[in-house]
Amino acid sequence: MITAEGLTRIYHMGAVDVRALGGVSFAIERGEFVGIMGSSGSGKSTLLHILGLLDQPTAGRLEVDGVNVLGLSDRERTRFRLERLGYVFQDYALISELTALENIYLSSLVRGASRDEYLRTAREILDEVGLGDRADHQQYELSGGEQQRVAIARALVNRPAIVFADEPCANLDSATSKTILDLFARLNRELGQTIVMVSHEDWHRRYFCRVINLKDGLVEGTEEQACVSHGDVPGGTKS
Amino acid sequence: MFEGLRVSAFLAGKALQRGNKGTLVLTVMIIALVFVNLVFLPSIVAGVVVLFNQQSVNYNYGNLIVEPRENEQAITDAGVLTRRIERIPGVLAVSPRLTAGGTVTFQGTSLARSVIGIVPSEERRVTLTATRMIEGEYLSDGDTGATVIGKTIAGNEDPRLDTQDSLGGVRVGDSITVTYTNGVVRRYLVKGIFQTDSFSTDASVFVTRSELEQVTGRSDWASQLLVRTRTDGDEEAFRLRLYSYGVQETVKTWQEKSRGIIGDVTNSFAIINLISTVVSLVIAVVVIFIVVFINTVNRRRQIGILKAIGIEPRLIVHSYVLQVLVICAVGAVAGLLLLSGVVQYLTLYPLRFPGGPVLPVVELLQVVQSVASLFVVSAIAGYVPAWKVAGEEILEAIRG
Repeated sequence: MITAEGLTRIYHMGAVDVRALGGVSFAIERGEFVGIMGSSGSGKSTLLHILGLLDQPTAGRLEVDGVNVLGLSDRERTRFRLERLGYVFQDYALISELTALENIYLSSLVRGASRDEYLRTAREILDEVGLGDRADHQQYELSGGEQQRVAIARALVNRPAIVFADEPCANLDSATSKTILDLFARLNRELGQTIVMVSHEDWHRRYFCRVINLKDGLVEGTEEQACVSHGDVPGGTKS
Repeated sequence: MFEGLRVSAFLAGKALQRGNKGTLVLTVMIIALVFVNLVFLPSIVAGVVVLFNQQSVNYNYGNLIVEPRENEQAITDAGVLTRRIERIPGVLAVSPRLTAGGTVTFQGTSLARSVIGIVPSEERRVTLTATRMIEGEYLSDGDTGATVIGKTIAGNEDPRLDTQDSLGGVRVGDSITVTYTNGVVRRYLVKGIFQTDSFSTDASVFVTRSELEQVTGRSDWASQLLVRTRTDGDEEAFRLRLYSYGVQETVKTWQEKSRGIIGDVTNSFAIINLISTVVSLVIAVVVIFIVVFINTVNRRRQIGILKAIGIEPRLIVHSYVLQVLVICAVGAVAGLLLLSGVVQYLTLYPLRFPGGPVLPVVELLQVVQSVASLFVVSAIAGYVPAWKVAGEEILEAIRG
């Protein structure tokens, strides 16, 4: 599903080169719920940006869903993001002038879906994330947790191969964070959705079936573990 | 392509519907004012040209002017020619005019002027000067020793009130003296004073044709024949018709005769128009550019998000251009309404120019050109900043 080899990212800050990633290699299989963890500055967000095609590595190879994505043109990368990837941002990143429903169906609209089709799909997903009654509310009328659930619904609307989530609970309280993580776990379990999530909260670890630990831009280690998604952890939300 | 347009239209529509209303109204108002500015001055210029044209026909020339043949000083057998032209279909009336140079004197003030000899009954059918008497009355065919003069040459006792050289305040009942170039001196009773607002006519002195024939000692001649046709605007066709009916004298249209002064006026105003148009369009470009630039810069993050979720930059740019075009269309409509109000007002209360009251004349072509140029500059001013921001790296845009 994802094969990364020697991903390197160097930022040129004036005369100084800052190495955010120093040659990261790993593989992620379809249907996995993977956590990328590490302390602040470890390079986890940089890695997620590269995996989500929001940034380009300085060096390395990256194959996503069988495609050498680093060889794609800008336009092809945009299309690839639209059709095969979902991205959930730390601060929700909703379009403020659109309602919850419109935020969700926008990418379906771009894909050329008919009005009936994109409305039906968006409503279904909004119901899945438990916001069916908030469809016509704009961003400022939604709480942080609701906004993040809309963002997740938006990431899922085109049924992407992989959903990337960049610290999606960073701005939420613990209770709301748990709701969001439970939602991700359910999506992974019930839909078999591949999810790659960045987090630095240790208590999130139990949701991930595999954790890639980063330190100073390098993979420090990978650990397979029991996870909420698989119903292996007490207190998980297996239905 | 249409899918892309659908997305751009969707984004543009929502931005207009739910964006900052104050900015929207302000931008529409600016476009409306720029539009009015683009159309208003040309409409006044067109009004001035129409005024001059009307004056040329109504007071100076009629529709056609028959002048002596080449290398001849006067039209001989003027009576015969007048009758012949009067019988041509479409011709309403013909007024023979004689002209003689002289010096007009009143109470020690002298001005060199051409004195025009007319047949008052004929002249009344060709020009409207007789209807613009402000004092006294117009000449009658049998008048001798009498004159009617224009308000400008009559002037005022206070020279500061005069716009041109004058005789210093001639009134009806006064007498003026004309010393003709052939040495004949005549004293005329001022029978009437007219004001047409035509510069040249109001500076004229009229006597009867028979009076001037006595002065010159020649009869049945004319310097020119003014021809009034039943319809306006067909002067060129009538000229050819006159020739086809055997007129061998030179026939000119009023447009040709007035080309000099009208041309000068039109050219001068055209330069002012051009400057005004360019300034207006530059203002429009700058304002729209600033508004869209601020708008796009404020939405850098949103543009980054749109790109991140897979929307092509060109669709984002198109959405901004569409917004600007919609704003421009609304602004143009608002401008049209505003202009219509201004035109209505100035029709009721015309601007007073030295040449008379000027009504604004809004020409369709001018409106179309103004709307088109507004759309073009708006599209450019909307495209450039949106393109600049949409071209940024996604993460840079999202980070603002």
